[in-house]
Amino acid sequence: MTTSIRAEIPDRLVQQAAILVHDGWASDLDEILIDALRRYLSSHSAELSETFVREDLEWGLRGDG
Amino acid sequence: MATASRIARVVVCDAGPLIHLDELDSLRLLCDFPSVLVPEVVWAEAERHRPHLFDTSSPSFARVTPQHPPRPALAALSRLMPLHSGETQALQIAEEHGADLLLTDDTAARLAARELQLPVHGTLGILLRAIRRGQRSAQQVLDLVRAIPERSTLHIKPSLLLEVMAEVERTLG
Repeated sequence: MTTSIRAEIPDRLVQQAAILVHDGWASDLDEILIDALRRYLSSHSAELSETFVREDLEWGLRGDG
Repeated sequence: MATASRIARVVVCDAGPLIHLDELDSLRLLCDFPSVLVPEVVWAEAERHRPHLFDTSSPSFARVTPQHPPRPALAALSRLMPLHSGETQALQIAEEHGADLLLTDDTAARLAARELQLPVHGTLGILLRAIRRGQRSAQQVLDLVRAIPERSTLHIKPSLLLEVMAEVERTLG
């Protein structure tokens, strides 16, 4: 299942993405956008954010420095 | 009462903690560090959000620019995460100056710092540390932590924030 979205993207980014597609590094713009979103979500996950809050709690109360 | 623990000498700060601490009227908590290095790009970003942030002479902020291009490992992480220019520069400055502490509230930047083996914490850590360092009472810090959703743009899940406050009360109450 997929959802269509409408987004304003800077021309420069679209041009860079188009070059990747033209050179064969990606099949189309959709693939690049999905991959970019997937990477963003994996590095900004809720689980990770929670881990960092707990690290701050421990360091703040009982840490060093 | 401040403990005798070693204070971080070289501290690099990303825009998030500067902005969030200022929103909470708690920027002075950074006075506990000898100086705070603020990358050029971060300085501009923080000033855009909080125009008077750097008007104060205390804490001691030093505006710095990277001396070299980022190491390949950082350049790769910056593209992969992806990181904004301010976050990348903060990591770069932290590496160049051998930082004891990098302050950022960005999850990806923290993840990158961990990969680069840089000690990293955020606004919440600085607030809670204020109790340990004798800068604020536990009650004062609890009030600040409680005020985070209304007074700042720092986003923390409400249930987690309650958990943090409960832990502070349990430990210090």
